[in-house]
Amino acid sequence: MPTLTPTKATGGVTKLVPAIYAEPDRQITDADLASFMAGSELNGPFMAEMLSGMLAHERCGRHLYRSCEGRTLNPILQAKYREFGEETEQHVEILEQLITESGGNPSYVGPMARAVLGTDTNLVQSTFLLEGSLDLMTAETSMLDAVFLAESMDHTNWKLFTRLTETMPDGDLRSRYEAASRQVEPQEDEHLGWATQTKERLTLLQATSEAPAGSKADELIARVKNWLAD
Amino acid sequence: MTFDPLAERGIPVEDQFRSWAELNVEPYDKLDVHPYTRARVILMNGIEVESIIFSHQFARQTDNAEILRALALSRRVEQQQQKVVNGLNPGNQSPLETTIGYEQVAVDLTSWLARHEPDPMLKQALDFALLEDFDHLYRYADLYDLLDGENADQLTKHLTEITPGRPTFAHHRHPYDELKAHYSTNTVDPLSRLHVMTIVAAEQQTMNFYMNHAADWVEPIARGLYVEIGMVEEQHVSHYESLIDPLDSWCKQWVFHEYNEVYLYWSMMEQEIDPGVKRIWELHLDMEIGQLQEACRFLRKYEGVEPQEILPPALPDTPLVFEENKAYVREILATEYALRTDGFDYVDVDDLPSDHRYFEFQAVMNRDGNPSEQVVNEDRAEAGTEYRDETDGDNPIEELRPVAATS
Repeated sequence: MPTLTPTKATGGVTKLVPAIYAEPDRQITDADLASFMAGSELNGPFMAEMLSGMLAHERCGRHLYRSCEGRTLNPILQAKYREFGEETEQHVEILEQLITESGGNPSYVGPMARAVLGTDTNLVQSTFLLEGSLDLMTAETSMLDAVFLAESMDHTNWKLFTRLTETMPDGDLRSRYEAASRQVEPQEDEHLGWATQTKERLTLLQATSEAPAGSKADELIARVKNWLAD
Repeated sequence: MTFDPLAERGIPVEDQFRSWAELNVEPYDKLDVHPYTRARVILMNGIEVESIIFSHQFARQTDNAEILRALALSRRVEQQQQKVVNGLNPGNQSPLETTIGYEQVAVDLTSWLARHEPDPMLKQALDFALLEDFDHLYRYADLYDLLDGENADQLTKHLTEITPGRPTFAHHRHPYDELKAHYSTNTVDPLSRLHVMTIVAAEQQTMNFYMNHAADWVEPIARGLYVEIGMVEEQHVSHYESLIDPLDSWCKQWVFHEYNEVYLYWSMMEQEIDPGVKRIWELHLDMEIGQLQEACRFLRKYEGVEPQEILPPALPDTPLVFEENKAYVREILATEYALRTDGFDYVDVDDLPSDHRYFEFQAVMNRDGNPSEQVVNEDRAEAGTEYRDETDGDNPIEELRPVAATS
C-alpha cells in the first residue's frame, strides 16, 4: 500500500525554511539532497523537490478521485473516477519506488510538495465548500473541472519527467525512469484526454438541451444520471 | 492498554442533547475542591470554547448544507458541554479567585506539556511563556491579598509556588516578536500536535476571560492589572497559534479538534478524584467519540482521506496530568529568566542590540509605569510584605527575592 499522507509515522521529513521547523531527526538539508539521483547529471536537490511535488500531486489526485467517486450521481463518471483513481494510486507507488531507488525519501515533503499540497487542498475544497449555491449540474461540473485541472498539471508533470529522463546518461537509473515514463505517460494522456472530452460533451449537452429551470430535484438527478449514457 | 477512538462507536451526535435540568449542574465548593479538579474544569471549558469558535469559523467558509447542518448539530452539543463544564464553577468564586485558578492551570499545564514535549522547538516555546504565566499568578495573588486580604494558597493549596517569574513588565514586546516557525503537519509528532492545540485553546480562554472581566472592578489597580496581563495573553495566543501548520484543510482541522477533545476527556477521566466530575468526563468522552466519528465521515466523503492516514493508531499512552511541577518551574526560571524573543529566535536580553524594537516597545508601553509592579508595591506597603508562597525555598533568581517595604 502506498502512503497517501506522509506523517511522522510513515517517516515524514522536511526541509527547514524560515517559517517551518521540525524535530532534528525529521530535517533534511540541501546537502542531504545533493546525492539524489547521483550520476544522472541533473541537479539533485532540485530533482528531489520536483519529484516530491509530483508525488504530492498524485497523492492528492488519489484523494480527489475518491471524493468525486463517492459524490457523483452519474454512474459513468463514477466508473471513470474509480478507474483513474486506482491508476493514480499506482502512480504514487511508482514514484515512491523511483524516489527510493534514486536515494531519496518518498515521505519527504519539502517546499515544492507543500506548494502543491496548498493548491490541491484548495482544489478539492472548491468542489464542496460552495456546494450549497450550486445546482446539481454545476456541482458535477465543479468536480469534473477539478479533475481536469488536476490532470492538466499531472500531464505536464509527466511530460517534463520524460524530457528530463531523455537528458540522463544511459544506465540503470535512466532505464528505471524510462520504464516509469512508458507505463504512466499513456495513462496520463488518457486521463487528460477523457477529462477534456467529457468537459466538452457535458458543456455541449447542457448548451443544446432544454433549460432545466424549475425542474424538480428528482428530474434533475435523473438528468445527471443519464448524462453520457448514449 | 492502547485506546483507539476510531475503533469505538461513542454516542451518536443526534442522541447527545440534554435537558435544561441536566445542563444546570451542581458546582463544586471553592475551598474544598481539589485545585486540580478546578484546573481540569478550567481547561476543559477552554477546550469546548475553542471547539465552538472553530466550528463557527468553519461554518463561515461554506454553504454546503450537509456540512453546515453537521457543524450546527455538533456545535450545539459542544455548547451544552461547555455549559456543563463551566457550570461546575461556583457562583461564590469571585472572578479574581477564578483568575488565580486560570493562572495555576497555565503554570501546571504548560509545565506538564513542556516536560512531555518531544520537539525541542515546541518545548522552548512552552518554557518561554511558562515563566510569564508563572509571574502572572504571583501578580494576581498579590492583588487578591491587597483587595480581599486573602491568601491565594487557600485556592492553590501549595501545589503551585507563587513567586515572581520573568517580570510582567518585561513581557511587552513588539508583536512581530511573538511569531515563531511552525511545525510541519507531515512530520509533527501526534503528541506535539495535541499539545499545541491544547495550549492554544487554554491561552485563548484566558485571553477571553481577561478581555471580559477587566471591567468588573471598581479599583483602578485591578482594572489596570487585568488590562496589562490581558494584553500578554493576546501575545501568548499569537505565539502559540503561530506554531500550527496552516496547511491542513478545514475537515482535517475538524478531525484534529475532535481527536484532541477525546484525548483530553480521557485524560481528565483517568485522574479525576471527584466522582461527580468524573462522571461528566466519562459522558463527555463518549460524546466526543461520537463527534469524532462524524468529523471522520466528512473527511472521508468530501476529501477522500481515510482518518487513519492522519491520526495515530491509538491515543498517546500518557494522559495529560495536572500535577506538581515545582522543581521544573524552578529549573526553567533559573536558566531562562533573561530570555527575550527576536523574530523567530529566543535570545538573552543582554544580547539584544540597544536599538532593538523590544526596547522601543517597552519604552512606549511602560512609560507611565506598570500595574503589575504597582500591585506588588501597594501590597507590600499595606501588608508590610508582598504575598508569596515559596514552598521550596527562596526564588532561584536573586533579584527576584523580596525587598523590604519602604515608607
